[in-house]
Amino acid sequence: MNPEELVLSNLKRVMDPELNINVVDLGLIYNIDFPDDGKAVITMTLTTPGCPLHDSIVSGVKYCIEDLKQFSAVEVNLVWEPAWTPARMTSEANQLLRG
Amino acid sequence: MFAKTKNETNIKLPFLFILFSLLCLIGAMALILFKGDSIISSQFRVPAIWSAAHLFILGWALMTAMGAMYQLVPVVFLTPIWNERFGFIQFTVTAFGILYFAHSLFHNPESALLPGLITLTGILMFLLQMFMTLRQQAKPNVLTLFVGTALISLLTAILLGILMVFSMKTGFISDYYQAVFKSHILFGTAGWFTLLIFGFSYKMVPMFSLSHGYSMKPAKYVFTVYASGLAAAVLSFFTEKNSLFTIALMILAGGFAFFTWHMLQILQRRVKKKLDYSFRFALLAIPAGLAIHLGAFICSLTGSFESAIGYLAFAYLLLWVALSIMGYLFKIVPFLWWTWRYSKEISKHSVPSLKDMMNDKASIPVLSAFILGILSVTVSIAYEHLALFLSGQILTLGASIVFCYLIISVLKK
Repeated sequence: MNPEELVLSNLKRVMDPELNINVVDLGLIYNIDFPDDGKAVITMTLTTPGCPLHDSIVSGVKYCIEDLKQFSAVEVNLVWEPAWTPARMTSEANQLLRG
Repeated sequence: MFAKTKNETNIKLPFLFILFSLLCLIGAMALILFKGDSIISSQFRVPAIWSAAHLFILGWALMTAMGAMYQLVPVVFLTPIWNERFGFIQFTVTAFGILYFAHSLFHNPESALLPGLITLTGILMFLLQMFMTLRQQAKPNVLTLFVGTALISLLTAILLGILMVFSMKTGFISDYYQAVFKSHILFGTAGWFTLLIFGFSYKMVPMFSLSHGYSMKPAKYVFTVYASGLAAAVLSFFTEKNSLFTIALMILAGGFAFFTWHMLQILQRRVKKKLDYSFRFALLAIPAGLAIHLGAFICSLTGSFESAIGYLAFAYLLLWVALSIMGYLFKIVPFLWWTWRYSKEISKHSVPSLKDMMNDKASIPVLSAFILGILSVTVSIAYEHLALFLSGQILTLGASIVFCYLIISVLKK
């Protein structure tokens, strides 16, 4: 498993508590970078800018990567542009929401 | 564009407001039940009814709105609360003022000036808090317009209330007393509550339905039409032109209809097909509010507005304002408690989802009973039927008690 796959796989532990779908399947993770050895930079968004779970989800993502022994430093950049769209969700997430 | 984080308010602050408001809701509903004979004979100006009305409007609806704003303003406008410590002091002053005010209105209305001033101080402190918070917002948007105008309406309602007291004591502008009184009611209801609910609905409806790709352009037209209706109504009070008042009610109903249409457009673009039951009740308040606005216009057109205003106001406060607040509280309170209890546990341990925090299905019997009770009471006032009033109000009180229990039971999760 390469580092990106490892990070993505671990990020599936972070659930959006309102939708009960993980942040990866929701398509909230925009980019994963490894600028230095042992450092991960996650660029992500949320389904809406005024989400009350703003800080909770971001800190969940941070902790989730810090939990991996391969990374000693984690940076999470929350961005609103480009805005999230439902097209970013996996078909499983889509099916869960559309019933 | 990087987003700013760490905007969340200390959970205790919104909770204090919400828990206090629940006590006021039960108190107000119980007082209304015990004063049924006065209400069905349209004798609203009796101490116990004044006490219940202020306990309901200030203690329940206003305090809930304040608590919700302490939680929602930072996340919706992406700006932290200006001063949390000031918020706790504001809660203490306002809560003490409201209880003291309701007590004075019930036992000795002549001595209500001091507690009225304490309550007023608390509300002004809240307005200062919100003004200082919103001015920090980097990019004001159309929601700022709705919420900002709602706050200005609240301030105007208060200033007009003070003017009324001053006018009663000194005779100053006594010729305009009725116009000032009507404007006070208009700004306190349609100006404050309706614009506030409109504004937050624009955030919460897409958020809870996961709607995307809709246009927000109609929102500014909704605002313009509704605000024009408010301005026309105030003008009609001061010029004493009934025809202008009828036109104002038509514009207000038009603005509300436009808002309803826009909400439908947003909901049609939703990803989440099966909406939560409690959220559906908050949505149900929208057609109820529209029907009440249309009803007010038709009554004015047919010359029956004066006789209908009692139950129109009752239905407005309970089926539009209270039902919106109750529906949204079913969503907001679990959010608040979950954030406090589990936000640091996310991804570390298995945490419950928000659905596990509250039995959403329980909202069906509770809020249905609440609606049925309010409709019965409204009809009983129209037909002066005491037995129907008592059964309807017992149902409303019972539903309110169970609602409060459900909200408080979230704290055990």
